[in-house]
Amino acid sequence: MRKQITADNFNALLQALIDSATRVVGPRRNAGTVLYEPLAAADELVLDELPRRSVKEAFFPVCEDLLAYEKQGQGVQVQDVDPALFPETVLVGVRPCDAAAIPVLDAVFSWDYKDRFFLERRAKTTIIGLACTQADDACFCTAVGLSPNEPKGADLLLTPLSSGGYLVEGHSEKGVALCRSYAALFSEPGNGEPLPLAQPQPTPFDLKRIKAWLDDHFEDPAWDGIATRCVGCGACAFVCPVCHCFDIVDEGTEKAGKRRKYWDACGFWKFTHHASGHNPRDLQPKRYRNRIMHKFKYYDDKFGQTLCTGCGRCVRLCPVGIDIAGVLGEIEKKAND
Amino acid sequence: MCDPNKNIYLPYLATVSEVIDETPDVRTLRLVFQDEQVRDRFTFRAGQFCEYSAFGAGESTFCIASSPTRTGAIECCFRAVGRVTEALRRLEPGDTMGVRGPYGNSFPIEQFYGKNLVFVAGGIALPPLRTLIWNCLDWRDKFGDITIVYGARTEADLVYKRELEEWQQRSDVRLVKTVDPGGNGPAWDGKVGFVPTILEEAAPSAGNTIALVCGPPVMIKFTLPVLEKLGFGDEAIYTTLENRMKCGLGKCGRCNVGNVYVCKDGPVFTAGQVKQMPLEY
Repeated sequence: MRKQITADNFNALLQALIDSATRVVGPRRNAGTVLYEPLAAADELVLDELPRRSVKEAFFPVCEDLLAYEKQGQGVQVQDVDPALFPETVLVGVRPCDAAAIPVLDAVFSWDYKDRFFLERRAKTTIIGLACTQADDACFCTAVGLSPNEPKGADLLLTPLSSGGYLVEGHSEKGVALCRSYAALFSEPGNGEPLPLAQPQPTPFDLKRIKAWLDDHFEDPAWDGIATRCVGCGACAFVCPVCHCFDIVDEGTEKAGKRRKYWDACGFWKFTHHASGHNPRDLQPKRYRNRIMHKFKYYDDKFGQTLCTGCGRCVRLCPVGIDIAGVLGEIEKKAND
Repeated sequence: MCDPNKNIYLPYLATVSEVIDETPDVRTLRLVFQDEQVRDRFTFRAGQFCEYSAFGAGESTFCIASSPTRTGAIECCFRAVGRVTEALRRLEPGDTMGVRGPYGNSFPIEQFYGKNLVFVAGGIALPPLRTLIWNCLDWRDKFGDITIVYGARTEADLVYKRELEEWQQRSDVRLVKTVDPGGNGPAWDGKVGFVPTILEEAAPSAGNTIALVCGPPVMIKFTLPVLEKLGFGDEAIYTTLENRMKCGLGKCGRCNVGNVYVCKDGPVFTAGQVKQMPLEY
């Protein structure tokens, strides 16, 4: 399906969705920071800035309740979460580096045991992607097999036109159904000129080659050089669209409270710390190595996918300037030597 | 409303039916599932683990320490060293706690039929083998000779003391118990020495024998060469890995040793499998 929509009609579409009590989530400015948040009005949408955190939180929030407990004498009442936590949602203005993360995360949350929290939100969310026309020095989607107009993960993909409207491509039943419901707002594709796409770091990595090196180099002096700078702040994992490690904690009193899931990060010292005091990843280089291994080897071993979309957020935010694309470049160079 | 099939993080509720102090800081809890259907339906194999929760404190990961042949209740055994285990220790008979599981793989007990078994355990690491020991003792005629080599730092640190006594009395079990040098009191009737040394002295035959080893990393490190010397092959030695876990379900991402998820691919591995892994356990 290919259609076109004017900028005004696109706003009208969002407003109609909001007015119909659909939860519409998109990049929105909150105290200076752009984040994916529910929109109260269509004009809150901010499309000229990559949100600070990735879109994963629309499916896998920073913190969410898993259950509530309340003690009654020696007994305990456990209350499951309210299914109202998973409303029908339209996600809008999602860059390809964010949208592509969602099918990658499907693998871990749906294999074997099914994580209802991720999967119910997934089933109830329609993703309207936006082809990317702005790259900065940290962007490297093209280096990890994606592109500024990659449709992976998007139900609809919008490509900005010089006229101000969008070319609209349907990439799933869900996306096509959404267009059909608001058919009057769309027109047949005309001869509008698409805006030039972003041009991030153009050289693709040989991810197979990088993985082959990782397969044989768990122990390698290079890790010390690569990873000693890491201070273990965890910022990279928190802004990453595909990092998905989490912690489970109880919050409340002994009488009543909630059990919650929180984002966690393999860069943290306590992440693998045993009760005995032993820590298999006792030093930061070991933890950084795990980050690289998980993204470019383990997840591939297990699910046949790479755990990185090249969004560049970790590069922009790292307080000690670690550039994961640079690290991959170094590894590729070693693999070629 | 509360359906663990839909929400995989929901625990079953269990009543603490008995608390047993194994050592000054190690406690056994005996648990009975509150829901009658769960009581009937809950089955497990020796080697599997659960996430046990004290509501308000959180969840901790331990093996199921009782044998799958003993139905009606399960047992866990833990040392109180942190927020959750301290809260679990505060529970009294009649109190309610949470149990998620059983998770992970198990000992391939069917493959041990007709073989001799040598159990080697150190300190708090007896519970993960004790489930299998009782499983085998309850099916005694399926196995050949059974040897148990168990040690702890001091006499006081030995867990399941009443069962050690029982195993010592049995003619169909050979128990070799030991404490580290200096850990013995005047009435100690066992060996004195570290587990690997005592194992070498006891010299169980490797012929048609499976070795099952569980202990602190340092004990494992020195025990494996001894077993090798006694003639045990890598595939005749089993151990369990105990990495820190949260979900137990292959999602939360922390228990991996290289690309092996201990919660899904383990916790039971052969020495051959462990040797293939990077040193991350």
